[in-house]
Order: sequence, then C-alpha cells, then structure tokens
Amino acid sequence: MVKSGGVSRKIGFAFLILLIVLFSVFPFIQALSTSLKYQWDWGNPSLIPTQINLEAYKELLNIGQEEKSVPESVKNLLDESDLTKAQRDEILAKYKETGDVFPFLKYFRNSLALSTTGALLSVVLAIMGAYSFSRLRYRGRGLIQRGVLFVYMIGGILLLIPLYRIAVAMGLLATPVGTFLALLIIYLVQTLPVSLYLLGNFFRSIPYSIEEAALIDGLARHKIIWRIVIPLSWSAIVTVFIYAFMIAWNEYLFASVFLKSYDQLYTLPMGLRALFYSKNAIWDRIMAGSMLTATPVIILFMAIQKNLTGGLSEGGVKG
Amino acid sequence: MGKSLKQRESTLGWMLILPSTVIILSLILYPIVSNVISSLFKVSLVEKDTFIGLENYRNVVSDINFWKAALITFVYVVATTLGTALVGLGVALAMNRQFPLRGFIRSLILLPYVAPVFSVVYAWKFIFDPVNGIFMDLTVEKLGIFSQRFNLIGNPDTALWIAIVFSIWKYFPFTYLMILSRLQAIDNNLYEAAEVDGASRWQQFRYITLPELYFILGSIVLLRVIWNFNKFEDIYLLTDNLKVLSIYTYFKAFVGIIDLGQGSALVIIQFALLLVFILIYLKKVLKW
Amino acid sequence: MKQFLIGVFMTMAIMGVAFANGEKELEFWTTETQSDRLARINLLVDTFKATNPDFKFEINVIAIEENDLATQFNAAAASDTLPDLVQVATENAVAFGTQGLLNTEAATSMISNIGKDRFYSGVLRLNQMPSDDAYYAVPFHGWVQGIWYRADWFEEAGLNPPKTWDDILKAAKYFNKPEENQYGILIGTSAEAFTEQVFTQFARSNDAWLFDGDGNLTLNSPEMREAIEFYAELAKYTPPGPQNWRARDYYFQNKLAMFFYSTYIMDDLALAEVAAASLTSENFEELAGSSFDPNLVSNTGMVPAITKTRDAGYGTIVSLLFPNTEDDERTAAAMRFAEYLFTPDAYISFLHMAPGGKNPVLREISTNPNFQQDPSNIFERYGPDKMAEIIEGLDSIETFSIVDGKRIEAASTVFSKQIIPQMMYRIIQEGESIDSALERAEAEIRKLM
Repeated sequence: MVKSGGVSRKIGFAFLILLIVLFSVFPFIQALSTSLKYQWDWGNPSLIPTQINLEAYKELLNIGQEEKSVPESVKNLLDESDLTKAQRDEILAKYKETGDVFPFLKYFRNSLALSTTGALLSVVLAIMGAYSFSRLRYRGRGLIQRGVLFVYMIGGILLLIPLYRIAVAMGLLATPVGTFLALLIIYLVQTLPVSLYLLGNFFRSIPYSIEEAALIDGLARHKIIWRIVIPLSWSAIVTVFIYAFMIAWNEYLFASVFLKSYDQLYTLPMGLRALFYSKNAIWDRIMAGSMLTATPVIILFMAIQKNLTGGLSEGGVKG
Repeated sequence: MGKSLKQRESTLGWMLILPSTVIILSLILYPIVSNVISSLFKVSLVEKDTFIGLENYRNVVSDINFWKAALITFVYVVATTLGTALVGLGVALAMNRQFPLRGFIRSLILLPYVAPVFSVVYAWKFIFDPVNGIFMDLTVEKLGIFSQRFNLIGNPDTALWIAIVFSIWKYFPFTYLMILSRLQAIDNNLYEAAEVDGASRWQQFRYITLPELYFILGSIVLLRVIWNFNKFEDIYLLTDNLKVLSIYTYFKAFVGIIDLGQGSALVIIQFALLLVFILIYLKKVLKW
Repeated sequence: MKQFLIGVFMTMAIMGVAFANGEKELEFWTTETQSDRLARINLLVDTFKATNPDFKFEINVIAIEENDLATQFNAAAASDTLPDLVQVATENAVAFGTQGLLNTEAATSMISNIGKDRFYSGVLRLNQMPSDDAYYAVPFHGWVQGIWYRADWFEEAGLNPPKTWDDILKAAKYFNKPEENQYGILIGTSAEAFTEQVFTQFARSNDAWLFDGDGNLTLNSPEMREAIEFYAELAKYTPPGPQNWRARDYYFQNKLAMFFYSTYIMDDLALAEVAAASLTSENFEELAGSSFDPNLVSNTGMVPAITKTRDAGYGTIVSLLFPNTEDDERTAAAMRFAEYLFTPDAYISFLHMAPGGKNPVLREISTNPNFQQDPSNIFERYGPDKMAEIIEGLDSIETFSIVDGKRIEAASTVFSKQIIPQMMYRIIQEGESIDSALERAEAEIRKLM
C-alpha cells in the first residue's frame, strides 16, 4: 500500500512520526529525568540531571539498603518491656523485615494477577456474548445489547457503597481469596460492557460467508468461534484485552476500600498513592515509582504487539 | 428442521450471553435501585433516613454552579471526544504504513494509555510548573514568547484546555488501536481497483477508508462521550479546581461529610442529561 | 464455564465457613501510610501483645490515606464493619462525632483513666463536646504551624523576622522578584485545606471569628474582611497560580524567602542536611552556579505565632477515636491498646517516627530526656528552649471550632466542606470581589446549618 513518494514526502512522513512519538513520550522523559535528579536539582528545568541520582530506584527496589539500624527509642522500649530474649528477637526480626519503602514486587505481583485474570475473563465472556449478539437471532437480543452500555452511566463512588455492602453481607471480604474475587467481579462488570460492544461490532464486520461454508461442512458453533472468529478478530481481541487490563491495572477507589484489611493484596496504584502522600521530599521516588510501574506494562505490550503485527501483516486477514 | 435450528440458535444465543448478563445485572441492579431510593431521602448513617421527596433534586437544579459545571463538562466532552478521535485516526493512518522500527514505535505510543493516571499527572505538572518547569523556562526565558511566568495548569482560564489536551494525550492510543485493527481488515483489492480507476489518495481515503471506519469511529465517539462525561480522577488530580460535573458532585456530596441522598440525586440528573444526548446520537449517527 | 462458576461459588462458600471460626481481630486505622511508620506501629502492637498475653485479640493495623477517610468510614458504617480504633486529625474526628458515629463515652473515660491534668488543656479543649466534661476523641499527638524563613537573607536586608503583619508584608515585597524567578512568600492559594490552615492563623491574629460564642455567623465582620484583604495582598507575592504546601520545594531551591509549614519540615530539613553533607567538596565545584546551597538548613529560622492585634498560633492535633461499634468487649480491648500507646516508652517510640512533626500532648513527655534525644537531632539543633516554645504552641492552637471555650459544631462542618478555601480561591484566582465571595460563602454556610 505504501508508494515510493518523493524524498520530501518521506522526510515529511518521518517528521510526522517523530512528532507523534515525542508527543506520546515527552512526559515520560520528564518523569525519568526527575527520578534521576537529586532534591537540590529539582529546580533545574533542564531534562539532563546535573548529577545522576540512582538512590530512588535503589530504595524502591530495596537494593543495597544496608540493614536498617534500630532507632534508640525502639531499643529502649524493648529493653524496658518485660520480654523474653526469644520474644524480643522475634519482634525485632519482623520489624526489620517490613520496613521496605515500597514493596514493589509484591504490589506488582498483585496488580498483575488481578489485571490479567480480570482481562482474560472479560475477553472470554465477551467473545461468547459478542458472538451471540452478532450471529445468533433470538428474542431480547436487542435489549441486552443496548442495555449493557448503560452500566457506565452510574459512576464510581455511587456504586462503591452499595457494592461494598453486598460484598460484606455475602461474607466475601472475610478472606483474602474472597476479597480478590469480589474485586475481580467488579472489574469484570466495569469492562464487560465495552468488551461486548467492541467485539460485537467487530464480529459483525467479518463476512458471514466464511462461517456459512463451515456450518454447511457441519462444523459445530464452538469450533467456528475457536477456529474462525477468534483468529480473524485477533487484533480486536488484543485491543479489548489491553483495555480490560488497563482498567484493573490503574483502578484505585475500589481497590483501596475492598483490599484495605489485607496488606498482602495491595496493588500498585495503592502503593503509589501511599508513597505520594508521605510528606517527605519524594519527587524522585514518585517519578521512579511511576517509571517502575509503567515499564513492565510496556514490555508486556511490546511482546503482544509483535505477535499481533506479525500475524496481520502476513495477510492473515483478507475480507 | 428450520424451526428446530432456529430454536437451537436461540438457546445457544442465550447461553452465550447469559454469564455476562447475570454478572452485570446482579451487580448493577441493586446499586441503581438503591441510588434512586436514597435520592428521595435525607440519608443518615445512624438514624433512620427521612423522606424529603424531590428536595435533593430541587437543591441541584436551583444551583447556578451546577449549570456552570454542566457547561464546562459539555465543552470538555466535545473537545476531548473530537480530539481523541481525530488524533487517533491520524496516528492509525500513519501507523498503517510501512516504515523502519514500526513495531517498536507502535508499542511506544501506547505509553500514555498504559501508564497509571496517577503517575503521569505529576509528570505533566512538572512540565508546566510555573517556577521549575521546562515549559515556562522555554517559553519565557529561552524563547521570550511570554513576558512572565504563569501557572498554565492552575490558572482557571487555561486549566480547561490543559485538561483537554491531557485527555487527548492519554486516550488517543486506545482510539488508534481500535481504528488500526479495523484498517488492517480492509481488503487491499479495493485500493488496487481504485488505483486502476485513477483515484487520488484523498479520494481513496474519502470513498474507501472512511466508509469502512464509519461504525468504529461512531462507537469510539459514543464510548468516549460516556467515559469523559463521568471523568473524575484525571481532572481532579491534574487541575486545581476545574469544576466539571463529576468534581462538582464530589464537592457537593462527598467531601468531608458524605451526603448520599444529594449525591444520588446529582448522579441521576447527570444520567438523564447524558441519556438524552446518547439517544439522539444513537438514532442519528449509529442508526440503531 | 459452568464448572468454573460452580467452582467459584464453592470457594466462596468454603471461605464463608472458614471465617466463622476465625480469630477475633481488632481493626486499627491509622493515617500513617508510610511503610517505615507502619512497621513501627506494628512493632508497638507486637510488643503490646507479647507483654499482655491475656489479650485475646489480633490487632490489624490498616493504613488509610487521610483524603480517603470519609469514603472509607462511610462505606464501613453502611456495612457494619466499622473499625475499633482510628487515628485521625481532630477536625475529622469531630465531624464524625457530630454525625453520631463515635463512642464518646469510651474516649471520655480513657482521658480520665490517663489523667485529665496530664494533657495540655488547650489540646483537650479541641476534642471537647458541647456538653461539659465529655470528649469526641482522645488527643494523641500534634504539630504546630509557623513561618519558616531565610534568616541570612533577612539579616542581610536588615529586615525583622516575619512576626507582625507589617514585617511579613514588607519582607514578602522585598524578596519577591518574579523576573528572577524568586518569590516572597508561600501561603495557600489553592482551594484546599492548606489554605484554610494558613488563613485561620491570619484571621485569628486579627481576632476574627467564623462564628461568635453564641453560634451566630460572623464571617462578614470588619476583622475578617481585613484579614481576607491582607491575605489576598500577600497572595501577590506567592509563586503564580494556585499553590499548596508542595511548593515548599521552591524554598529548597533558593527561590523562596518565607513559607508556611508544619513542624514536619524539621525532619525534612534534617534529611536535606544529611544529603548535603554526603556531597564532597569536589562535587561542590561542579555544582557552582546551580541552585544548591549547603548552608540552607542552618540559615532557616522559624516564627510560630504571628501578630496583628494579638498573637495567634495554629496547628493540628491528631486524635484516637472509638467508632460506635456497639460491641463493648471490642471497644474495651481497643481502649486497652490505646492506653498502652500512652505509656512513656511506647509513646516516645511512636513520636520519634517523625521528630518535630509528632509532638506529645502529655506535658511530662516534652521534658522526658528520652524524648529529647530524637533521631534527627532536632532538640540539639533548635535547642530545648525553642522546642519548648514550639511544643507549648500545641496548648494555644486556635480554630474556628472552639470559641471562648465553647464548641461550635457548625464550624467543623464548614471546615470539612472546604468553604473557606473555596472562597479564598475565588478571590485570589478568579478575581471575584471580596463582597460577592463573602456573600456566596455565607449563603453556602447558611444552607449547611
């Protein structure tokens, strides 16, 4: 489809691409720059730090943080309390273990588990539902199809309190697993309508003739979905997955209310907030935290994207 | 045979859609009903709620600030929706061509969309910081475009426009992904045939690409309108005091002491406003 | 799919059963969200548990961001899962109390268990209910607000320390050089709590009240108007646009002469000094011409109370409150743990999480040698006299909520709805006239009452 235009045209195009890239990544360059500056250098508008400061990253990733010394007042407290040696050692050991500034790996693991599961479920359910919308005829289809989008019209905070009440009444929040499930279902509700809608639209644009031939050959519906519809809409499915993933990856309000009792389940947005609202001088750490949060997702999507473009440019999809 | 096939189809259709429907309904119905009810009450956490009829509603519509917020929201929604759609379309067209490093760049421009709002907001604030930011340094000290430093994000007159640019920046990658996936499904034969007929690039775009994209663009606009209408976090964190409807609601009902009755009434009114728009849009543009 | 759903429901059911036999757990919500501080609080919990083997409950410490507290508290109240103990700023505690969400008997009896006269009386007063001898919550620790300034710049310019309105304005004008990217003063100019904190101090130094002792609204008094006018004038010498406490960064970059801030800054100043000391003299040469100043910290002065017609200080007390859970056993257990937090060694260990920012509300602790030996060496730097002056400041904190010793509940509602900062924002940022801004604020307040 690309025609070899004149040289000026090529330069113009390259310039356009450069502009798009710069527009997209400039704030990240700023974040990276700030994360590498010392506090006294924050007032320097240049993007290049006067001196490179890796402390923020080291601190957040807990690298080379020599064992925290125990403050006087704590020693004093333990000395004056009526404790056995074993008790004292146990308390101190736990204290030293839990002082990470930002347990990045834990937050990352939780966010990843929540977002991946949520997005996968959303995609699976949406493929089923969207296929139903776009290919099968039955009474009530139109109503459901149009109805789902209205879910979005009632915003976050007003859903929060009733949903929390239900979750508590069902006893879901009494255990970490139940809490995780409750949150998962909430994210599912938030993403399903769009997933259904987008995939439904996409499926409709796939010519029915391909499927018809398969149906006549006696292929069962689920096989049609698996062998024909999914491969043909791979790019749309990936887009929907990314969408559903990002909703859960960035969500704060519900996570903060539902997960609060289980600090082993805290997510990255919760961690970032806590870091931000600590009143010390923290811009380097905030920005380092932001970079650390964004990087793995980028790597993840680069991997997905590569598969995606490979499949498509080889001409997999032809109407 | 024909009948039973139809029946089977219908059963299968229901079975496939049922899990989604059950999950959505079971979680949405109760909150909606509970909100409609509490909008008629003065809600108290300790005593019994008192029925006050439409008082909560009257409170809202008689407040001039509510209508101001509605106007700001309207501008915000229209500008961000159009901006996101246009930028997304342009980028998708560019990314659909072959060029070196395309795979890498395609991933790179997803960055704004995949980074948490919370973290990118502060990078933006840094850029536009009146004292330390690079933007003021460039425009005031280096280029002399402005005579003095000012707070571009904080200033009430400019905050709205920064919020709009931010929203376009943050969400164009999603639009671009949607459009790109549709672009790639367009049959190349169409273009080849058009070329043979001597159609110009613009004509190819106008008569082949655009019609193919019509519905996807329509859907994107619809979704962005719904999303941006209720957008809270982006605006709240980025600007200091830009009163769109969601932020107006937050201050009216959720700051300090939470007034659920008032909040419910506000949301229902907003819902009604949005509904009118959506219904017109669906009829006219998407031809449902 | 079906199997999956069945699996999900089975798991849920099992979880529900498992919980029924679970251990008893107390929830302690704290607004200390930093992980090192949480580790310290958990250490206190562990020590408490180890020394009180008969204590039957687990204590789950949950960090809640202060801005989310209203939402979290409401969600918990609506679903009957209120926590047993909460550490929160007193104004918020009072706001919950006026909604009837607190067990005030528990707080009142705990105060008398500890001994009423051991507390600073001014601190207790901030927690007092309208009826005498009853309290919404137990004061726990507090910070004082003041003007922090470049003592060396002031000395060089021959200016008085910023104490009176005149001296503050004069210095703000003198040091404000926007063309050199340097500003006179930082006061709150955004529509948020920081603005109200700074403004309250100015209003009270001119003897202006939001309500009088009988609960009549006196927002539109000549004193208040004068304070607003003066505040709007000072805002001209503040960095452009809406600013909050985060702009104190400018001070660390030598771009600001004065700023309002809590005593939490002492710890930051100490940190900055440590950071400065870690740079070698070799680095200094590279840094010449940049905004780095190794002497910044030692050249910082502080004035806790400002003056127009009278001295006024401002600060915030953080309290411990007992939500109304209607479970006496749990509340009693929460009280027992809370009282433990006031035993000297535990208390000092808690306060030392943020030297300067966390000050004792018990008079005897402020002179305790262990307390004065803080990890950031603040007592050493500022000297015991200055520190005593600062901590004594807790005793004379003034807010609009207590007038002549009487509790004005409406003032807490006005505070929590951020009406004053919204009004100041309209005047300073949107250029609304003082008359019309006052009128609107008055109308909003009357609607709330």
